[in-house]
Amino acid sequence: MGPWAAIPEIAKVTLRQLLGRRRTLLLVLLAALPVLLAVAFRLADQTDVERFTRRIFDTISMTILLPLVAILFGSGAFGSEIDDGTIVYLLAKPVPRWILVAAKALSAMAVAILLTGVSTALAGFIDLLPAGNDGVLATEAQLLAMVVGSACYVSLFLALSLFTRRALVIGIGYMLVWEGALSFMLPGIANLSIRQYSLGAAKAVYNLPLEEARLSAETGFLLAAVLVAVSLSLAVWRLMRFELPGGSD
Amino acid sequence: MTAQTVPEVGTPASSPPQTPAIELAHVARWYGNVVAVNDVSFQLGAGVTGLLGPNGAGKTTLLHMLAGFLAPSAGEVRVLGRSPHRDPSVYRQIGLVPEREAVYPFLTGLEFVTFNARLQGLRDPEKAARASIARVGLDDAMDRPIGTYSKGMRQRVKVAGSLVHDPQVLLLDEPFNGMDPRQRIAMMDLLGQLAAAGRTILFSSHILEEVEQVGTQILVMVAGRLAASGDFRAIRALMTDRPHMITIRSSDDRKLATALMTDPVVFAVELTPTGLSVQTAQLGVFRSHIAGASRWAGVRLLEVVSADESLESVFDYLVRR
Repeated sequence: MGPWAAIPEIAKVTLRQLLGRRRTLLLVLLAALPVLLAVAFRLADQTDVERFTRRIFDTISMTILLPLVAILFGSGAFGSEIDDGTIVYLLAKPVPRWILVAAKALSAMAVAILLTGVSTALAGFIDLLPAGNDGVLATEAQLLAMVVGSACYVSLFLALSLFTRRALVIGIGYMLVWEGALSFMLPGIANLSIRQYSLGAAKAVYNLPLEEARLSAETGFLLAAVLVAVSLSLAVWRLMRFELPGGSD
Repeated sequence: MTAQTVPEVGTPASSPPQTPAIELAHVARWYGNVVAVNDVSFQLGAGVTGLLGPNGAGKTTLLHMLAGFLAPSAGEVRVLGRSPHRDPSVYRQIGLVPEREAVYPFLTGLEFVTFNARLQGLRDPEKAARASIARVGLDDAMDRPIGTYSKGMRQRVKVAGSLVHDPQVLLLDEPFNGMDPRQRIAMMDLLGQLAAAGRTILFSSHILEEVEQVGTQILVMVAGRLAASGDFRAIRALMTDRPHMITIRSSDDRKLATALMTDPVVFAVELTPTGLSVQTAQLGVFRSHIAGASRWAGVRLLEVVSADESLESVFDYLVRR
């Protein structure tokens, strides 16, 4: 059996770990918010791409739901095992460390994409179907932004959780200060913003009506790929050197 | 402080020379200014060895270095001839039972041990898992989530997970914690069987009696250093034959002091304002003599208290020697 065979085994345990927590239920409720708002917009006959993109997609899905979900799952994939000590059952195995990182990252990305993607797709289709082809393309672009954003946030905060036990706090700070405020006010930091990578990548499908989306599709994809590759490489490097404390003894 | 000069663990003089499964040479580990393990050297071959020491002695740090989870700050650690640090392939030959209780609570016992077997790359993981669970006597509970297990059951499922690939070296950190006496005896028997089958087993404990019952060889750690190593009985004798201080209150302390002075195991008696302070080298013998001495003197015993019975005081004595 090759080392690849360990990935589904670790992923199964990780998924049960991530989905079994109480905070996941809160995230599901948060993911339902854009869908409920989309229903309300549809009932109020406010079915235009720009209004939906600004008020629901950008304000809630992109700014709150995506970073919160992906940071929680990304930092929790290893973080919760480090906190409770179960990491030892993974580390004490003849499994290459890159396999552990790949399994954890794929699991966290899958859950983040599932939650943010289903929410975005449902909300988009509910509200934008009457907008015709533009509505469908806008929804697909928003979905793509969720996929790219999930991959980036998960990779970055999964890696960070191997360096510090405060990855979640740092992640929330990053979400609120960097992405939530500074990336709007300072155009120069577009190259250092996951939100910008995601919105840029979405342009490959449709030009969402958001003037603060500053990167091109190519640049968005490229920077996102670099971020994922560097973060996961750092995670492997760190896991190879990971040390367990001596405990009380 | 120096280690006691008793025969090296696992390599008694009478046995033929063999490659030690575990070797530590002048190993130290420090965290900033705190020294957790200091200049520890020993070799272990097949058999059960108890790693004894009070809390904070450096036992877990030592086990983590052996398990490859910590790099030594100085010296060399070798398990089966290789450095375990940054070499995941070594875990095909090492089984580890960590001290921390946490085990995935949402998995059943069988799922957990099978998970371990799959990550070890075993051909028939479930069959190996069932066999390992049977060895620790958890068959009846293997389909229950681990979250519903008692502390002792969690310890046993951790042991089952660590044994599933039949490792050559087994490292157990406080494995008897939370086990009831019956479970303890069963686990001790299991470790004995594994040792008889040629496995090298090192387990830590801060309880003397645990080590006494299962480990024929012993390493004693105190304050990060190896205070003693070798045959358990020799070290046990050092521990029990040390000077003990006993305070006694009786209906007539002066008469009792006269009686005790004739006892050969007593080497000092002092009258204090609150009673008698007695020093003996053989606590067990003294305890059996004290009732007879009080009867002979016609004195009623009101209180007999051993002043320095804590394990820490035993270790302190070993360190001072």
